[in-house]
Amino acid sequence: MQRRRKGNLQALAGLLEIPQDIVLDLPRITMLGNKQVLVENHKGIIEYTSSLLRIRLNQGELVIGGENLSLGSLQSEQLFVEGVIAEIRYEQ
Amino acid sequence: MTLRIANYMNGVVKVKICSPVPEKFINLCLARGIFLWSITKYNDDVLAYIRLPDFFRIRPLVRTSQSHVEVIGYHGFPFALKRLRRRKMLVVGALVFIVLLHVLTSYIWFVDVTGQTHFPGDQIKMIARQSGLKPGVSKDHVDVRGIENQILLKAPQIAWVGVSLTGTRAVIEVVEKTLPKQEDKSPADIIAVKAGIITEIIAIAGQSAVKQGDTVKKGDLLIKGVLAALPPQTPVPGQPPAALEPPKLLRANGIIKARVWYESYGEAALVETHWERTGRQTVGIGLQVKEHQFSLKQAPEQPYEHFQTELIHKKLPVWRNSDFAVESTINIFYEVVAKYHEISWEEARDLAKGKALQTVQILIPENAQVLARGIETLKTDEPGLVRVKVSVETSEDIGLTANITQ
Repeated sequence: MQRRRKGNLQALAGLLEIPQDIVLDLPRITMLGNKQVLVENHKGIIEYTSSLLRIRLNQGELVIGGENLSLGSLQSEQLFVEGVIAEIRYEQ
Repeated sequence: MTLRIANYMNGVVKVKICSPVPEKFINLCLARGIFLWSITKYNDDVLAYIRLPDFFRIRPLVRTSQSHVEVIGYHGFPFALKRLRRRKMLVVGALVFIVLLHVLTSYIWFVDVTGQTHFPGDQIKMIARQSGLKPGVSKDHVDVRGIENQILLKAPQIAWVGVSLTGTRAVIEVVEKTLPKQEDKSPADIIAVKAGIITEIIAIAGQSAVKQGDTVKKGDLLIKGVLAALPPQTPVPGQPPAALEPPKLLRANGIIKARVWYESYGEAALVETHWERTGRQTVGIGLQVKEHQFSLKQAPEQPYEHFQTELIHKKLPVWRNSDFAVESTINIFYEVVAKYHEISWEEARDLAKGKALQTVQILIPENAQVLARGIETLKTDEPGLVRVKVSVETSEDIGLTANITQ
């Protein structure tokens, strides 16, 4: 049922030319090389160490691995990560 | 940028969050809209920056997340203010400085006059002083236009005057009138200033007393300042001859060119002696109080076989008009030795020639035209000495206007 609704919404968004991240409540991730990551539309952090950062998303979580990770700014709608980023991975 | 300014105004606190699960505290902050930034992991603790107003709101969050928050640094305007409150005199000093600066710059401290060439600047300053522009007067009380008018009225030699106040300095800029030169109209003759042979004489006013080719001495009359005589009137028969009128005097004017000769000698020795300081010196120091002389350090009468002396007077700087009556005199004796320097005959001749030309050059006026120059080496009996004679022939104006004394 859930999956079906999502598919319909996606079709509607495509029809009305509305950006999908708004319709589907997906995170928008912007990267600048391996130095900075900006994650919009997140739901808070689960774990934070200087080598690993787990961010809660609407569905699942986003894992950022690297070195010297620091949270440049932390706001309810966006999260700015600085450091040397090695990997970004989605986990259910 | 504006964020930085806002942060500075609000004040920023750097905190250390000690907690087994710092993520919980961070998420709580997120939920309450408390802005954290530059979050870094430091060992097991988390360091973060937080705004000062938010800092007072995190207390319940700290409790619920069972963490411990420690302030490790702060900066911003509220903290600067707090520090200043403890140092009141610093603020007072800064305020006094600003007020004093403002007060002192609202007065005129210097008055300068520029642009004057003949009219004395002190007199302009005095007129300005009388009209209210002087050091120590407030800028608000200076009526620039009125002072300009006063100066123009009181100094008729001035064509334009502009007073401008720049900072604490008032500059009076003046432009003087160019008045036509007062011409001397008293009767005068033209006489010769030096001896020579007249090559050209044109009398514009007056009667020429010499003609071309004449030899004149210094002081001879060249153009006489009288009106040219009219041809003698033929006496009308039956009437007595008219009484001879006294000659009418006028100011003579004319062009006089004459050939003038100059001569001079110069000599140079083949062996030149000049004195060189050896570096050894003796100093005598004396003190003079009014008319009394005290010797602080006596120098021997004849310290060296050959010596040069240098006398230095030292006085305290003159303050106002008081002339301090104490003065020290330092007499330095330098030992000198003679150094002999031999030069060739040609070099000596050139040296002598240079000396002779230099002496003759002083005598020749600038507007003279040099016609010929003769250089002659004289034979001398003395060995080791070269004598040179230089003769210069010029063509120049030798006239000098001399007023006729009556």
